[in-house]
Amino acid sequence: MRFGLSRLILLLLVPLISLPGCEQPQVEFVFSKKTNELMPQAAKPVKEALLNHFGNPFALTQFEGLPTDFGDIQGTVKSVEPSEKDQPLIRFHVTGLENTYHKLQGLPLKWTSGKGQGQVLRIKSYKYETSTVAVEKSAEITPQAGDTFLVECVRLQQGRDLYNRHCMHCHGMSGEGTGPTSRYLNPPPRDFRLGIYKYTSTKPTKKAQNADLARTVKEGIAGTYMPSFKLLTDDEVSAIVNYVVWLSIRGETEKKMVDELFQEYSKEELAERTSEEGGETKEEVLEELKDFMEEDFPDTVEFATSSVADAWEEANLEDSVVVPREPRVADTPESRERGRKLYLSERTKCATCHGPQGRGNGTATQDFWTNPVTNQKYPDRGLHDIWGNQLSPRDLHRGIYRGGRRPIDSYRRLFSGIKGTPMPAFGGSLSDQELWDLVNYVMSLPYDGNR
Amino acid sequence: MGKGWCLFFLFWPVAAVASCAMAPFVNWSFPYDNAQAASNLGIRIDGLFYLILVITAIVFIGTQAVLVYALWRSVNNREKRAMHIHGNHKLELIWSIIPGVILLFLSIYQMNIWADFRIKKYFPEAAVKAPLAEVTARQFEWRFRYPAIGKKLQQKPQSDDLYSVNELHVPFGKPVLIQLRSDDVQHSFFLPALRVKQDALPGLQIPVWFEANKPGIYDLVCAELCGWGHYKMKAHVIVESDGEYQKYLKNLTQKQFYDGLGKIASKDSSRESEAAEK
Amino acid sequence: MSVLNHPPTGLQPILKPQAHHAPGNFITKYIFSTDHKIIAVQFLFTTLLMMIVGGALALAVRWQLAFPWESMPIVGPWLFAAEGGQISPEFYTMLFTMHATVMIFLVIIPILAGTFGNFLIPLMIGADDMAFPKLNMLSYWFMWPAIACFGLSFAYAGGPAAGWTSYPILADLAQAAPGSGNAQTLWLFGVTFIGFSSMMGSINYMTTIINMRAPGMTFFRLPMTIWGLFITAILQAFALPVLTAGGFMQVADRLLGTCFFYPSGLVINNAAPTVGGGQALLWQHLFWFYSHPAVYIMLLPVMGMVSDMLSCMCRKPLFGYKPMVISMSAIASLGFIVWGHHMYTSGMNPAVGMAFMVATMMIALPSAVKTFNWTATIWGGKLEFNTVTLNCIAFLSMFIVGGLSGIFMAAVPVDVYFHDTYFIVAHFHYVLFGATLFGVFAAIQFWFPKMFGRMMNEKLGKTHFVLTFIGANGTFFPMHFLGMQGMPRRYADPYLHGYLEHLVPMNQFMTISAIIMGLAQILLFINIFYSMFWGPKAGRNPWNATTLEWAAPSPPGHGNFDFVPMIYHGPNEYAVENGDKDFLMQSEKECLPPDKKHETDTDETETSE
Repeated sequence: MRFGLSRLILLLLVPLISLPGCEQPQVEFVFSKKTNELMPQAAKPVKEALLNHFGNPFALTQFEGLPTDFGDIQGTVKSVEPSEKDQPLIRFHVTGLENTYHKLQGLPLKWTSGKGQGQVLRIKSYKYETSTVAVEKSAEITPQAGDTFLVECVRLQQGRDLYNRHCMHCHGMSGEGTGPTSRYLNPPPRDFRLGIYKYTSTKPTKKAQNADLARTVKEGIAGTYMPSFKLLTDDEVSAIVNYVVWLSIRGETEKKMVDELFQEYSKEELAERTSEEGGETKEEVLEELKDFMEEDFPDTVEFATSSVADAWEEANLEDSVVVPREPRVADTPESRERGRKLYLSERTKCATCHGPQGRGNGTATQDFWTNPVTNQKYPDRGLHDIWGNQLSPRDLHRGIYRGGRRPIDSYRRLFSGIKGTPMPAFGGSLSDQELWDLVNYVMSLPYDGNR
Repeated sequence: MGKGWCLFFLFWPVAAVASCAMAPFVNWSFPYDNAQAASNLGIRIDGLFYLILVITAIVFIGTQAVLVYALWRSVNNREKRAMHIHGNHKLELIWSIIPGVILLFLSIYQMNIWADFRIKKYFPEAAVKAPLAEVTARQFEWRFRYPAIGKKLQQKPQSDDLYSVNELHVPFGKPVLIQLRSDDVQHSFFLPALRVKQDALPGLQIPVWFEANKPGIYDLVCAELCGWGHYKMKAHVIVESDGEYQKYLKNLTQKQFYDGLGKIASKDSSRESEAAEK
Repeated sequence: MSVLNHPPTGLQPILKPQAHHAPGNFITKYIFSTDHKIIAVQFLFTTLLMMIVGGALALAVRWQLAFPWESMPIVGPWLFAAEGGQISPEFYTMLFTMHATVMIFLVIIPILAGTFGNFLIPLMIGADDMAFPKLNMLSYWFMWPAIACFGLSFAYAGGPAAGWTSYPILADLAQAAPGSGNAQTLWLFGVTFIGFSSMMGSINYMTTIINMRAPGMTFFRLPMTIWGLFITAILQAFALPVLTAGGFMQVADRLLGTCFFYPSGLVINNAAPTVGGGQALLWQHLFWFYSHPAVYIMLLPVMGMVSDMLSCMCRKPLFGYKPMVISMSAIASLGFIVWGHHMYTSGMNPAVGMAFMVATMMIALPSAVKTFNWTATIWGGKLEFNTVTLNCIAFLSMFIVGGLSGIFMAAVPVDVYFHDTYFIVAHFHYVLFGATLFGVFAAIQFWFPKMFGRMMNEKLGKTHFVLTFIGANGTFFPMHFLGMQGMPRRYADPYLHGYLEHLVPMNQFMTISAIIMGLAQILLFINIFYSMFWGPKAGRNPWNATTLEWAAPSPPGHGNFDFVPMIYHGPNEYAVENGDKDFLMQSEKECLPPDKKHETDTDETETSE
């Protein structure tokens, strides 16, 4: 009797500890706050479009036309395992996947020959050691030996796995910058979804180059919690950058679509439009939305993705990089003095933010600033970046250079500004000589004991 | 049943000894290929470890064997009653003095190694005169500051200092000294291959010396809890010949003062990525 | 097993006035009890409950090490839904911090001093209760604020993330382990509360043992258990104030802006540079000045209890009673001057390290003497393998490993390599789990009949023992190899580092062993609750033991003894010659000869050595 009891309890506990590790977690990319502020009827097509084009973290989707290395791999069915009627999966051995990434679970598999040509299935499980793929059974597809297929998004998946291990805790599953660890960090982790990166080598209006992002990953950002991942291999870093850019593209696409709809169809706007006496009724608004969705929305999606993709492609071109026309002016006391004068002058107004001594305590830090997005004043004093975080101008005496400590880095900061922040671009207004003088002055500050 | 239990208590020491004996062959011993330290001091430390290992192994096997034998005897005790004995003065003396002598020997034996390792008076002079670099630990990375070529490391940062992150280059075959400090919380500079470990204390600058005796790439990790990203403090110490080290410094100088024009000399190692040049 | 259901011969039962009034209704009897036995039982169940919590935390830690960043069962999907059940690194730091906190402060220390100290001290020395019954009750109830603080700190305030050692600056400045702002403060309050609880207990135990011994109970007739608890109480009373002071200093640093533990000029988490003149090393000295003796607080009572149990199970007097007492005292006094061996790499003056090294080497000596004495006690005994014996042997067998691995750590140059690697984790788990908890399992089985009047189940007990023993060794022994490989402690993802990549299978093996070990504890709980109500009734002296508590009824009534206890012998008079039975209780003047009922002349005149 007593052993019956203990066995029973043991048996009851077994399912509790049975390892659920093999199951793919159901995780979804999050949508931006603005998307969720749309009317549900307007938000739905946006979300559907994003889901169709980008999928979910554990079910990535290929979308042609993006400057992303998806990494399709061609494979051939070698033999098909016989399976029972009631088994939901069909397994087959393949060739061609031996030298690729070893985790392919969840990826789309597109048949390129055989009965199911053109059909796409998700890989339900994949064993690298035996090269066995399992997909769901369906009536139209019966894989035969010799059938060929493409596994899509292999490179993207590799990037995702690396991202989830190294970056996700801070930057979040969707690159939204609110991972579980993010609430501990100051400055907060970057939200990739605006597609704006601070420390780039490109011209003021351009996006970041992949190489810039790779450099940030490798070197870290001094003075912040972004550590250096120097010991990842180049291949791993480029996979991560590939994935991060893809996340950015997803976020920007979403933003563009939502911006198109937000003016007319946000929840707030709906309330306003239907509140007036004799104004529109809810049905009318819905009717209008339906028309818009049918006629214009496909173009909106098309435009959003292609413009974002073009911008990223353009940034990686050779002529987007800021290259000084003249070499660095010799770092002499005279040059520094010229730089100091320039720093204090009305032309640059450096001192308003960074302070007359470069302590980061200029008068601007005491002002109320206007949000360039909403055109409203910020509730608290001081400068803010485009992500809405309060930002203090750099104390130039600390000798910490977030974007790198080479002269060319400082030059580029001055030339292009710091994207997403109030730091302006001086590339147009100052000559190269003047820029270099400023660089020489600023870089001498940490070693200048008296000031 | 008694015998079964005796076997049970015999089994696990046997398993323990067996697993220890096979450890060197299945890569469970000290890290890296041949489990040998990459510094002479490390080899001496290993020697001390193996000495203690032999002593403890003998004691372990001895006590466990006697324990199991005593168990076996007293379970199969056919006497009506157990032995009536309250103790034995001589035995107590013997088993106090012998381990006492061994322990005292061990503690005196190792003092030299410790003195050579940590006591400042015994630091190699050449290393003390010209410290190699300042190592700054911060959440969660290692930052290194070398003096400019031909100059000495100063307490305060100089405008011509060379900086790198998570990658420390060290020439082999000569003792080097680093100044260890921390920017924020406590960290620990742990070089498993060289058997070096020293905490980085905020507010203090602690000199650490070591001498690598063969080239290679070794892991540098943090061994003192420093926050959520403790495990992320991953760096390499690259031990190379003096010539290569000088080349690396030259390259670093060129890169650090790069003004966006002109070319940087050929990369010294393939590990440097193109991204760093952009 | 003969059962003595009558009071020992030669003594008159006497009704005595009680020290305090007898319990009345349910609430005064079981909740606000001042009776040391009830308080002991309260401690027992509280600590067992906490053991489940601590064990679950340990399994969560092990899961992450075996299957890093995979969906953690149960807690993962619940807490980290947006990440697919993958826990975050700071949650991992909270997990191991809380595991250590719960296991040390809420399980091991209270189960030894609280449960067994409370239960055994009055019964073994022949007192009817503790010296200060109300203080005793308070010492139990101070555990609950501590539990509340720890619980709030973990579940509500963000979790203490600085390890149980709470090293500054990580624990000292709110921005260093951000998010754990209030949590760390709460954690410190929790430690302070548990410190109060222990302190009240210690004062009570010392007073009771010194003042309330029955007539004839000289110090060298005290059972080893009492010696262990007595020395523990002294250790606690002297070491704890230092930790409490340190804790208050850290709280002051956190809340009042003092700067005991941080220097100036630290820029953490982009906050303004700190201004201060403190030194983090100070905390380490204060902390280890308590926490090294705390290791012996967690060990000495078990050593005492195992001495008594082993002697009883072998039916043989304890080998070398006095050397045992002396070595215990030596451990305790040396224990105060070895704290520096936790700090060899900390940046303290290396020359001081040498002095600490010699002291640390020397502290191995009394432990060795004790081990030899226990083995000699078994030698020539008449042993029966029951659950108590098995757990005691496991204690001995695993204490040897824990002790021997300590020698590596005592050697400074070797310790420099092993410091904060898994070798150290292996070492203290062998001591704290291998030795202490197996001793506790034995003690629960042994004194259960006295606590509840019923025997525990042998088969369940043996199954529990075998599974726990295999699980424990499977979990903790490979940790030595991890340490050899240089795997640092407290890493959420050690496999990030190239030289540790190949250790995944070993960690998985350890995790499976840990799960077995965790599940085995279910048997212990079943055994306890089943036996409490349905176990076979035990008489006064089911084990034929000699110490005084076995002369009292099972369970003892209020006021413990139904006769006036008088002590005539040392504690472990087994294997007496020419007696009707092979043992002589401490309260029995002499043995009856084997053939006669009432006789005066026997050879048994010696009392204790």
